[in-house]
Amino acid sequence: MRKIANILLNLDRRIIFLLIAAAVLVPLLRPFNLPGISISQPVKGVYDKIESLAPGDVLFISMDFDPTAKPELYPMGISILRHAFSKDLRVICMTLWAPGVGMAEEVMSKVAREYHKEYGKDYAFLGWMPGQLTVIIGLGQDLKKTFPKDFYGNKTDRLQIFENINSLRDIDYMVDLAAGDPGIETWYLYGKEKYGFELGGGCTAVIAPGLYPFLQTGQINGLIGGMRGAAEYETLLNRKDKATVGMDVLSTTHFLIIGLVILSNIFYLITRKGKTVR
Amino acid sequence: MDLSILLGAWVAAGLTLFIFSFLYKDNFFFKLGEHLYIGVSVGYSITLLIFKFMRPKWFTPLFGEHQWILLIPTLLGILILTRFIPRLSWPSRLTFAFIFGFGAGLTIPRSISGYILQQIQGTVIPMITKEGTQISYTFRDFSNLLVFIGVLTVLIYFFFSVEHKGAINILSRIGILFLMISFGASFGYTAMARMSLLFGRCYDLTLFSSKRYYYATPILLCLIILCFLIHHVLSKKHSV
Repeated sequence: MRKIANILLNLDRRIIFLLIAAAVLVPLLRPFNLPGISISQPVKGVYDKIESLAPGDVLFISMDFDPTAKPELYPMGISILRHAFSKDLRVICMTLWAPGVGMAEEVMSKVAREYHKEYGKDYAFLGWMPGQLTVIIGLGQDLKKTFPKDFYGNKTDRLQIFENINSLRDIDYMVDLAAGDPGIETWYLYGKEKYGFELGGGCTAVIAPGLYPFLQTGQINGLIGGMRGAAEYETLLNRKDKATVGMDVLSTTHFLIIGLVILSNIFYLITRKGKTVR
Repeated sequence: MDLSILLGAWVAAGLTLFIFSFLYKDNFFFKLGEHLYIGVSVGYSITLLIFKFMRPKWFTPLFGEHQWILLIPTLLGILILTRFIPRLSWPSRLTFAFIFGFGAGLTIPRSISGYILQQIQGTVIPMITKEGTQISYTFRDFSNLLVFIGVLTVLIYFFFSVEHKGAINILSRIGILFLMISFGASFGYTAMARMSLLFGRCYDLTLFSSKRYYYATPILLCLIILCFLIHHVLSKKHSV
């Protein structure tokens, strides 16, 4: 038994890679459609806030992520924009991450086309600006001065959507979709706390545990964490998409990882049995 | 289908497979993919910086509209370049002094407020529910109690001015438990994030395997495997 345990403990890592690949590919090609996704309170916090807004209210979204976080945050962006456009909100979008500009613009225009929204009237994309926290402070002082032109070169003071919106104080809700720093914490510290708007967030699973203290204290009113959070939001909207498809994959890979952790511990105990600790 | 989309799909599938090939062993394809990623992302950021920021925010206002006030940040920026000449590098300190002064002034009050005061406020919370004269105990109150105990015991664990013996030792050990649970949660979330990323790439790879994309993934995968086999045979011959 100890011999087998030793062999399995020293298993070639490439076999584990193959197992993980199988755990991803099998449910992807033949979905199991595992039973319902339960909705957590942090995700509902963001959903309820957007739900409570009236048509014409302003939702500000900052898509602070790059292509490496696409599987988690792209579906979140799609869902939030679908929710906002279905409620006829005015949506202003930007990013603090230079490599994410193209993707943020793609998400925005894709969903806007889906809902036949008009650029400049129903939505606008400001693009990217270097400076991170100074950009946030600038937006809090004078939005049109910080972004005199939008991403496409239109003058912001001539776009209908910016009528009566001069700074972050004039927005009704903000959602930051973040993959790191600058992200939700930056928007909280230099934006919400200073200019007093309501802030919610969506983030990658890696940074989610670090943001729960902000949720618990009420510094942010909701948090969509990782692909699981995105799937919850899709469920709330009743529009199952890529994140929901990914739940089968996450479940199988998690089962595999848990199984491997338990097995390796058992094998470790078997190999250690009888050995004295010096 | 638009040729650019098709080409994009082949490039995306190829580069993903190049990076995944590292799971087998370090190789030329992986290095190519890695270097391309760094080069393209830096090039993209620099292009964006020049055309979306420097030109509209600095070059045009300064040289086109003669906003001479912009000469001050320009000068501060140029001073940083003196770092390249060690003997003349001292003026760069002026710029760094400006950056540090501005950064510290901006960050310290915000951080104290957001990270310390608000968080302390979030810890000092009621542990029983009182409505009028009625007192009840809900799950929320239990959570609040856990938060309080967690904060207190973890702080004691990191308090090194007294020896961890007796009651302090017990409390610091409870603090370790809270820390372990926190690390476990972080690890769980990290595993979930990595699996999500893997799903994202695999989703695209299966998408690009279809007839619509002219079987980009299987063709490229076969080519990479073929290259590995040829390399393996050649290196074996060479060693013989």
